[in-house]
Amino acid sequence: MDLSAFTIQLFSGLSRAMVLFLLSAGLSLIFGVMNILNFAHATLWLAGGYVTYSMFDFMSGRFGASPWLLLPAILGATAVMTAAGFALERFLIRRTYDRELPEQLLLTFALVLIIGDLIKLVWGVENRRISLGIEPIEMLDTFVNPYHFVIIATGVAVAAGLWFFLHRTRFGKIVRAAVYSRSMVSALGIPIPAIYAGVFALGVGLAAFAGGVFLPLLPMSLGVDHDIIVQCFAVVVIGGFGSMLGTFVAAVIVGVVYSFSILFWPDGALAMVFLIVILVLIWRPWGLFGTELRS
Amino acid sequence: MNADDNRGRSRLYAKYGLSGPAAVVLLFFFLLVPLLPGEFWTIVSTEILILGLFAMSFNLLYGYMGQISFGHAAFFGLGAYATAMVFTRFKTVGGEISTPDFLLSLLAGPPAAALGALIVGFFCVRLTGIYFAMLSLAFGELLFYIVFSWYSFTKGDDGIQGLLPPLFFQDAVHYYYLTLAIVIAALLVMWRITESPFGYIMRTLRDNQRRAAFLGINVRLHMLMNFVIAGAFAGLAGALWGPFSRSVSPGLLGWQESGIAVFMALIGGAGTFVGPLLGSVIYTLLQAVVTMFTTYWPLTIGTVILLIVLFVPGGVLGLIEQRIKSRRGQAANAGHEAASGTGKR
Repeated sequence: MDLSAFTIQLFSGLSRAMVLFLLSAGLSLIFGVMNILNFAHATLWLAGGYVTYSMFDFMSGRFGASPWLLLPAILGATAVMTAAGFALERFLIRRTYDRELPEQLLLTFALVLIIGDLIKLVWGVENRRISLGIEPIEMLDTFVNPYHFVIIATGVAVAAGLWFFLHRTRFGKIVRAAVYSRSMVSALGIPIPAIYAGVFALGVGLAAFAGGVFLPLLPMSLGVDHDIIVQCFAVVVIGGFGSMLGTFVAAVIVGVVYSFSILFWPDGALAMVFLIVILVLIWRPWGLFGTELRS
Repeated sequence: MNADDNRGRSRLYAKYGLSGPAAVVLLFFFLLVPLLPGEFWTIVSTEILILGLFAMSFNLLYGYMGQISFGHAAFFGLGAYATAMVFTRFKTVGGEISTPDFLLSLLAGPPAAALGALIVGFFCVRLTGIYFAMLSLAFGELLFYIVFSWYSFTKGDDGIQGLLPPLFFQDAVHYYYLTLAIVIAALLVMWRITESPFGYIMRTLRDNQRRAAFLGINVRLHMLMNFVIAGAFAGLAGALWGPFSRSVSPGLLGWQESGIAVFMALIGGAGTFVGPLLGSVIYTLLQAVVTMFTTYWPLTIGTVILLIVLFVPGGVLGLIEQRIKSRRGQAANAGHEAASGTGKR
């Protein structure tokens, strides 16, 4: 492998890792706090991407095209989807808290189908992408799209923000406490339903944000969510349910392994990812950074 | 079975639970389906039976053993590919296959799937709950990508085409009855297994693994045996699928296909023996009808599943069973009339 191929794969792998991290962080938080495995997480990510596209498209028509319009478009889509996530929790997910795990899975499974088809209904079957028209810059023997740096910086910033939120703010500390013992948190007089709604909305918001940030690099197309969600499960399993650091490290592992495997086994790159998942589950079922207690 | 049907539905219910009457009603319909005009319903019913067998094999893991597998389609797909490969080997240059060779190729499915299940199960049975689900999903996806990318062996994304059964079985009705016979035989074997001491060990493992271990049951070994059995039946369903749809493709091993088995089991009622088959009737029929009118099938089935989860927990058969029990009240012996009345519907 020469340096240029290495550089390209490294950057696309790290970018992919950041998106996987943004998605898996929400997935992991939702599972940790609410004990719900949200199959629809990547579908909400996809919806976030489409909404960002529409907002960007609308504003470009209104104010003239500019790459900077992506920023308000992403923020707008994140706000919309956060509200949608809140509503979803209020009206649907909440009804299944006292049910068995498979029934909750079935509900989020149903949401994958419903939301996926609603996207098709609204945006049609053609792919949607945003072209920012940024010149690639020359470095390490090759040309790199500078947008990769934006994605990587954003990912790291959100990771730091999440860490600060979970460890230094009151709400964040309550969320972490709820991962360990919901009944104890409830006994301390903290309204658990509000925590649930907040965590779910936060997770969906992060997913939608990731969808928007990723838009200039990869077009949104129907059905990608099915591939992405199993990769997110891979990340969460490798890192360990409920561990933020684990999720970050695992996202980097999955993203980089995927993008280097694609060089020598294009169709089977994901097979490598699942091989890692299998090895981790056999060796440490609770993940690299998880704790055995929660198994 | 029909004589039994006439003399006393209540006895049928007493002996087999709701599965008894439900099985009789389903059998009755399945036998008569080819009388309907046109091939369409016969073809749909063939699909119902094959996917129903697949869903019931999944339910050996979920309903009886209490573990949810998200990789069960891998064994469905392995069975389908094994049959397809043997089928292709037997085929003459002109693309024809003799009936004995065809039947022989069907036999290749279950052992291949069982072998795959033995390897995958060896690791999966060490875990339970969400970890079991995740490991089975990971193995399923691994197998999917292997089949998808190993072009020289599996034809990759193209799948294996041209699985045209012998002339006699190209007739939809003939293939249907072949499927019906095989599925009935499989279900009878499955029923024997679930009602055997082994079947009750499965229920024990579902309800309390620790207690089972204290009773001296080798938990992992029994889980592995059940995993292999479920895999073999899924492989049989897969074997029937290839010649039915005339082709196999990697998608048969994917997690979405596994999801279909989960849907069917939970829609029909995972707590009952024939529940998943009823789930297949509902799912497949609905798909056949809905896709006639709209391409938004996922939206439709998604909404149906949503409503079932919210309002019919335990699935359709589970709901009926619950109704019967509540109508019977506390008196255990008094409710035979009510049971037979509801079972008829």
